[in-house]
Amino acid sequence: MTFDPNIPTAQTGTKELYSPVRPKERNWNTQSTPIVQAKTVTGNSLVVVISIMCFLACLTAGTVYLINQSAAAWTDDIASEVTVQLSFDQTTNIDDKLSKISFFLTNQQGVNGVRPLPVEESTALLEPWLGGAANLNDLPVPRLIAIELDRTSPPNMDTLRNGLKKNFPQAVLDDHRRWQSQIQTVTRSLALGGLAVLILVGSATTGIIVSATRSAMASNREIVEVLHFVGATDRFIAREFERHFLSLGVRSGLVGATGALLIFIFMPYFMRLLGGGNMTSAEIRRLLGTAALDMPGFILLGIVVIVIAALCMLTTRYGVYRILNSQHH
Amino acid sequence: MIRLENVALRYGRGPEILRDVNFHLRPGSLHFLTGPSGAGKTSLLRLLFMSIQPTRGLIHLFGQNVTRITPSRRADLRRRIGIVFQDFRLLNHLSTWENVALPLRVTGKKTQDYQEDVTDLLQWVGLGERMYALSPVLSGGEKQRAAIARAVIGKPELLLADEPTGNVDPQMARRLLRLFIELNRLGTSVIIATHDHQLMQQFQAPRLELHDGRIHQVG
Repeated sequence: MTFDPNIPTAQTGTKELYSPVRPKERNWNTQSTPIVQAKTVTGNSLVVVISIMCFLACLTAGTVYLINQSAAAWTDDIASEVTVQLSFDQTTNIDDKLSKISFFLTNQQGVNGVRPLPVEESTALLEPWLGGAANLNDLPVPRLIAIELDRTSPPNMDTLRNGLKKNFPQAVLDDHRRWQSQIQTVTRSLALGGLAVLILVGSATTGIIVSATRSAMASNREIVEVLHFVGATDRFIAREFERHFLSLGVRSGLVGATGALLIFIFMPYFMRLLGGGNMTSAEIRRLLGTAALDMPGFILLGIVVIVIAALCMLTTRYGVYRILNSQHH
Repeated sequence: MIRLENVALRYGRGPEILRDVNFHLRPGSLHFLTGPSGAGKTSLLRLLFMSIQPTRGLIHLFGQNVTRITPSRRADLRRRIGIVFQDFRLLNHLSTWENVALPLRVTGKKTQDYQEDVTDLLQWVGLGERMYALSPVLSGGEKQRAAIARAVIGKPELLLADEPTGNVDPQMARRLLRLFIELNRLGTSVIIATHDHQLMQQFQAPRLELHDGRIHQVG
């Protein structure tokens, strides 16, 4: 249709002015272009940097989670079992004494089971320190009784200890409290360390996004100006920017989380490649358990991705509001 | 509709561009804003559009003092005003259709609610064949018409036009002026800044003349 030189007169109504002639065919998909273009806001380098940040965050969160799980399993094992140690004494029949102590313990409240460890098992426990070559049977190895506790109504350890001391002075009860406390201290320290790393990663991400938002606002200054002129609110303008940063956060987060996940899956192989051998794998397994994330672990990585994406979006929103506010005043 | 009381404007430490500007325009009026180049026509329009603040004085728009106004309130008021810039201010990466639809898009309306209006208005201003063209490929006259369509698509109560006929031939200038007059007849208050005396003679309307930073109402 060409421009009609006969501009409508006063007789022309509003309907005619705004809706004169309707074409038969019309492309309805006319509003797909974003007002703020993604390429002017989030470049590839920014995606790489945020991906690295998310990778580090996921790696830290996953490692702390695995150590926590492992420590919880250790503590659980230790807490459900206590040991009675009977010093070696040549003058008495030690097996007979073990039987008597076992009988005494079986009758105590809160004890689910008692198992005197054979001498072979006791000496096997010393092998890691003394080696297998030595003739351990010749050594005055103390004998052990493993006591399985009732976790629902555990015995009073002081009462148990005093009763044992009164009846069998050579027997010593070890409730592993010292180990539990050490494991908890180590776990807590690692968790705090992990938290510190996460805070640093979060701060660095925030700083990068603030700077990226500033440069995005500067490169889209004209668009922001026009949006203001046509009556856009600051909220609308902020949304135009933050949607790109949210998408950036989600994409980078997924890339980073996938990278971290691959590390967790292939860590034992990497160790072997780096020359650590099976011993290193075993050490890692001891520290991190199976070093494989379970469902809560995967959810944790998902949460890290969500947090990174939300951080990107909210930082942008705050940054855009700040810049617009400074322009208003 | 518009009331200015003792309005003065200066940029930074420069001289006063406007001083003691007082006028009152009723709803539904049409005025030419005229004066030599550099007289302050664009500055006065910018004051009315709230993109700058006066150095002193009061500006009332739609019965509200807009001298000190919150950003959200300003956005609300701007939706009631259409503005045609001398340099068009079209967004280069958007099509003509999208540029014209922008004032409606920012209100959060759904596309279906206004796509017919936008298409019809573009047909009406003679840009039916250029609807999906990006603004850099439009000619000066086409850009001008797209900018005017963008200004009027929201059915504004006040239309401010800064040299709207500066980039078009005399015939197109007359067509566009007729469009403004038609909008005015439909109830929109219009202020057209121009120094095209021929055009002003053809379309008789009261004038606001700017001289030495002061305004004089003629007619």
